[in-house]
Amino acid sequence: MAKCVSPDAISTILANPSPESSSDVPDIVVQVIDLKATGASGNRFMFTANDGKMKLRGILPTNMSSEVMSGNIQNLGLIRILDYTLNDIPNKPEKYLIVTKCEVVSPPLEMEVKSEVKSEETGIVLKPKQENGIKSEVKSEVPGIFLKPKQEMVAKSAAQIVHEQRQNMAPAARMSMTRRVFPLVSLNPYQGSWTIKVRVTSKGIMRTYKNARGEGCVFNVELTDEDGTQIQATMFNEAAKKFYDRFQLGKVYFISKGSLKLANKQFKTVKNDYEMTLNENSEVEEASNEETFVPETTFNFVPIDSLGPYVNGTELVDVIGVVQNVSSTMSIRRKSNNDTIPKRDITIADETKKTVVVSLWNDLATSVGQELLDIADKSPIVAIKSLKVGEFQGVSLSTLSRSVVLINPDLPEAKKLRSWYDSEGKESSMASVGSGMSPSSKSGSRSMYSDRVSLSHILKNPSLGEEKPVFFSVRGYISFIKPDQAMWYRACKTCNKKVTEALGSGYWCEACQKNDVECNLRYIMAVKVSDASGEAFISVFNEEAEKIVGCSADELDKLKSEEGEENPYQLKLKQATWNSHLFRVSVAQSEYNNEKRQRITVRAVAPVDFAAESRFLLEEITKMRASK
Amino acid sequence: MDTSNPSVFVNAELLRLYVGCRVRAVIQVLRSDGGVVTGKSTDENQIIVKGSPPVPLSNFVEVIGIADTEKSIRAEIWSNFGNTFDTHTYNQLCQLANGEFKHLFL
Repeated sequence: MAKCVSPDAISTILANPSPESSSDVPDIVVQVIDLKATGASGNRFMFTANDGKMKLRGILPTNMSSEVMSGNIQNLGLIRILDYTLNDIPNKPEKYLIVTKCEVVSPPLEMEVKSEVKSEETGIVLKPKQENGIKSEVKSEVPGIFLKPKQEMVAKSAAQIVHEQRQNMAPAARMSMTRRVFPLVSLNPYQGSWTIKVRVTSKGIMRTYKNARGEGCVFNVELTDEDGTQIQATMFNEAAKKFYDRFQLGKVYFISKGSLKLANKQFKTVKNDYEMTLNENSEVEEASNEETFVPETTFNFVPIDSLGPYVNGTELVDVIGVVQNVSSTMSIRRKSNNDTIPKRDITIADETKKTVVVSLWNDLATSVGQELLDIADKSPIVAIKSLKVGEFQGVSLSTLSRSVVLINPDLPEAKKLRSWYDSEGKESSMASVGSGMSPSSKSGSRSMYSDRVSLSHILKNPSLGEEKPVFFSVRGYISFIKPDQAMWYRACKTCNKKVTEALGSGYWCEACQKNDVECNLRYIMAVKVSDASGEAFISVFNEEAEKIVGCSADELDKLKSEEGEENPYQLKLKQATWNSHLFRVSVAQSEYNNEKRQRITVRAVAPVDFAAESRFLLEEITKMRASK
Repeated sequence: MDTSNPSVFVNAELLRLYVGCRVRAVIQVLRSDGGVVTGKSTDENQIIVKGSPPVPLSNFVEVIGIADTEKSIRAEIWSNFGNTFDTHTYNQLCQLANGEFKHLFL
């Protein structure tokens, strides 16, 4: 039996990730390097399989642990892999070798097997070369470095060596020496123990909560490793108290014994499929030789006049503007637990000549807010990262615990803003971005971006609006207006209610209790609206129908009675067809012949602003890609 | 619809990659003299367009033609796009249409 590694053993393994049985596995002998204990009680052994050309990280089966501990399998020794499985490491091209059956081939060789890079001889026996120490078989005639198995050495098991090394080391050094640092990207919920070396790139505040199980406290940090991978780590109660002061922004830590689970996509702030939780048993040790580095905040500013599409969305925005006004601190009582938290409102303006109010909460209200108040007369520039966009007064911005506020930052946008303000901005009249976007405004373009859905969302959900009507905005085309439908009703000129034909002549309004010779015709029609996802019949009332058809009901009625080759009435309806609009609709349930039916009614209609709509679509595309 | 000769949506940066190909771009007209229009692309760089522009030429125009150098297009079709145009959105379109969603366009 040749006491050497099988050539291309690793390639052989990689080529066949899951052999059917041990008979499917060819003769694979590899050298064991980097052997170390792992697992909860240190009774499993990880290693790297080396065939001289390639290396593969892996783990030995539990039934081999005794062989390691007795010294039969040692670091630099050879084993024959009889059965195995190859696992994927998420997000990395490398694989992980799980050995299910193996046997000892040779005690430790003198050093790691390395083959000559240019060697074309991939014969069964590795020929010794002068340059590198390639181990050869026991054929002493061949010149070169001859290595014989070190039988003279006292057989020490890997566990023994590790223990000896450990004994006299200081804790920090001990950690980095005896544990291999895993890249964040290789972590998954099924991996046993790992150690990561990460920097805290964001630290949230400690929040208290109350739920059915009682009270608690929680905070989270954003961790980034050397490769740039990020993950969010959360700590509750005891762990939160234990680690809150230990974790400092910008410092580097070795962390182990945390647990991973799939990230809740709704609340994802960091790009990672997983999120980490640390409990009281987790280990967090500061890395002594690392410099503290707080990464520079990068901004992606949204001009104030473009905030509309973000209202009530989940995407956070960054803004920069000149401070126009700073309010005094207000105390707001939180409904959930009656805590009072400080808040301060500042008004900022930018080159779009629009202003917006930003609410600073907690620390930001008291610290930064006070600073701004003191220098408010100098019209300072403020840049804020990670703001939530709400709909109070049309558009409102609110800080979160992760928001960052910079006063007079050294950014090119700040310089541009300063020169604009000093030259013309100071004098120009500015309007609040929210005005003209009030929720009650019928053609408010703001409302056309909130609760935006596709028609299929409404149609697929027959129970929508069961208790009280639900509102959505939809963009669609008028796809059909039935020419012969009761398109209008006779309405009282005064109160718009339906009138009945009076005995004799004229019309009687029950509500006004009077007769009138004339009446108005007011639209009440059903139109078919279609979008990319589906089609639905929607009821439209007078004001909105006038916008869709392009004339009043009285005028359309006149057209109906006109004679002509091409019926102008039909033509008018045709012209209204296949136009796109933005609709604000209400969805409710009504009973008809004992059947529950969904009723969709138009509450407002607005023309499509193609530029704004395109920006909205781009945002939707970004959201779709992010959630993949 | 004749789909035999599709044109690639380009800005100045993408134009460099499609020299010799049929491209389309929206530019903001900076100068127009003789048969050469100097325009600002949607990614704030300059593109030269050769050919016979329509008269009058609006502020924004879409040109479709062959990219004869890294910075110029020999336009066959000119379309006036008016005086206002959202260049940022068009630029995003160029990037998406040549990146992740290229298979939908060419």
